[in-house]
Amino acid sequence: MSAIDDAPLDEGGLDATELDILTTAVRQAASSRSGADLDAALDEIGWVDAVAVAPRAAVSALFEAQGEACTTSGALGRLLGTALGVPLAVGDTVLLPRFGGASPPARRSGGGTEVDGLGGPGLVGPGPAGARRVLLVATQPDGTGSAWATAPVTALRTQAVVGLDPDLGLLEVTSGQPLDVGDWSAIDGPGWDGAVALGRLAVGHELVGTMRTMLELARSHALDRVQFDRPIASFQAVRHRLAEALVAVEGAAAALDGAWEDRSPLAAAIAGAACGHGARTVRRHCQQVLAGIGFTTEHDLHRYVRRSIVLDGLFGNARTVTAELGARVLQDRSLPHLLPL
Amino acid sequence: MELDEFRTELDRWLDAAADELAPGPGATASMDGEMAQLAKVKRLTFDAGWMRWGWPERVGGLGGSPLLRGYLGEAVTARGLVDPGLYSMTEVLAPTMIDYAPPELAADAVPRLLRGDETWCQGFSEPGTGSNLAALTCRATLVPSAAGDVWRVDGQKVWTSLAQYAQRCVLLVRTGTVEDAHRGITALFVDMDSPGITVRPITTMHGRDEFSEVFFDGVEVPTDRQLGDVGQGWAVAMDLLPFERSTALWHRGAFLRRRLADLVVDAPDGALRPDEVGRALVDLFALRARSRRTLHRLDEGERLGPETSIDKILLATCEQEVFDLAADALAERVALGDDDASEHWRSEYLYSRAATIYGGSAEIQRNIVARRLLDLGADR
Repeated sequence: MSAIDDAPLDEGGLDATELDILTTAVRQAASSRSGADLDAALDEIGWVDAVAVAPRAAVSALFEAQGEACTTSGALGRLLGTALGVPLAVGDTVLLPRFGGASPPARRSGGGTEVDGLGGPGLVGPGPAGARRVLLVATQPDGTGSAWATAPVTALRTQAVVGLDPDLGLLEVTSGQPLDVGDWSAIDGPGWDGAVALGRLAVGHELVGTMRTMLELARSHALDRVQFDRPIASFQAVRHRLAEALVAVEGAAAALDGAWEDRSPLAAAIAGAACGHGARTVRRHCQQVLAGIGFTTEHDLHRYVRRSIVLDGLFGNARTVTAELGARVLQDRSLPHLLPL
Repeated sequence: MELDEFRTELDRWLDAAADELAPGPGATASMDGEMAQLAKVKRLTFDAGWMRWGWPERVGGLGGSPLLRGYLGEAVTARGLVDPGLYSMTEVLAPTMIDYAPPELAADAVPRLLRGDETWCQGFSEPGTGSNLAALTCRATLVPSAAGDVWRVDGQKVWTSLAQYAQRCVLLVRTGTVEDAHRGITALFVDMDSPGITVRPITTMHGRDEFSEVFFDGVEVPTDRQLGDVGQGWAVAMDLLPFERSTALWHRGAFLRRRLADLVVDAPDGALRPDEVGRALVDLFALRARSRRTLHRLDEGERLGPETSIDKILLATCEQEVFDLAADALAERVALGDDDASEHWRSEYLYSRAATIYGGSAEIQRNIVARRLLDLGADR
């Protein structure tokens, strides 16, 4: 199983009822559990297997639910493994690129392998130390395609990311000295680019989840909060801000829909960027409507503000990816043909 | 006829007929020229069958999905063969006739529209009635005549696109009282050569006098020219909107994509920044994806509703974004250029300022989103 362009055109062998059962279970789990608990629940549900047969349903349901509930799991790292077509053992995870970028997190040179990437929340969890392995991806030395190798977590330096959103549970993972990681295996097919594409869609869905919750928080507040003898939801200035926010959410969701339909890594990059830009718009309007109360930690808005800002940095942020897309268009002097009717 | 087959065959035909279909040099420099070009493309595509797909057989169509109409409009727009706004009026007016006209009238009239033998206009807005369409006052009164009772129409319409070219008008009139509001409105199909109609084109700021004032002074309209029942005019108007927000919207999105592609070629080196081009690409993709999903929903028989206000907002925003980029990157040509291409950029830039005004203003769209999609309650 590799990336979205090899994904089954329909949702694999799952009929409507099975899809419904899967997505309901996944959403239920992600809305009420987080971290290792959620990982355990996803293992029970068989989420990784579901990705192989129904990638769109499995990915969108889980990541949107995580975004909506501000929960987290190791699913992203495991998703990349599925996309790369590499069998992951229990306790394995794929290392994500550095924050703000999309390049493979490992680099091979004569002296060994250097590592600089992010570990998702599943990287360090329960179990005997050393039972967890990290799957590293690096570009082949001759520049053609990519390859993977594994290293035990204990061979790497890990540092918990605090910063804006410590609850996300990211780790900075580096090698310190160049490592000797043993055998590298070539990755066939779409390879790293296909994995990044799928990762971008997953993060995009998670961003859409955060956007939907921020909007619901603002909407709910606007209906409850009374000033000048009427709910502030009755003032056109407030209504129009929330309308703009909904347009941003729906635009981002549409871009993801288009990317799943189009199936190209380019469309996934575009959709990921749309989600990052959309989240910024939603944050702006919802922060304004939620006014004073939304600015305190007594209210949940700040958790979604933090989450969405940091998520935008996974697999490259909206601003950088957008500029890269534009540079490519200017260089080619043409627009890509995407998403036929 | 399936979409994939239609696409392949149509593309092949458009390639083969390219010389015949192309506008001559300078042909689209004027409104008259654009209309002649549109009529030519409609005639050629109708006679070759393409224009007939996606319309019911009882009105001269060949049946099939609205997706086929979507693709045809996209293809002729993407090749620069038609002005998308003019082309897409068919998308809005034909369904109205099909759903509400007496069957014989629809069977007679719709093929003429599809083939470009006739141009139709839509008489909705009035000087005193824009966003608040339900308050329209153009009056129709039932009066006796030699041939039995007829509607006598008195009043005025404004912003009537293509009225000066039109043979027919889909006209909304008040047949009830003012207090009846939207329930007192009836739709009529009026011949523009009826005695008592005066058309006065409006000079716009973008150089294309595309709309007019239309005055009705004792105009007689037979009752068999009613579209739907007396008092059903509001439903006629509301049912028309989803078509504006689906196929017509898809066509305009294709036009914006083509113009961005043209801009990338026409702009001097360094005039366009990667981030702004990238952002336009991202926004156009979101618009395209949204519009595509709406068209597929239409195809599957779903009822389109207030959610299409989102499509409209995305479109208007994209249109202004693309032409803002053009005005920046081609500043000297837009400000000073006298050649055909510069005049097109200039005219389209100015027209893009109206994208948030026509077809339901940006404010009205956001009101609809707030009330109907976000359920924010009353706004007073």
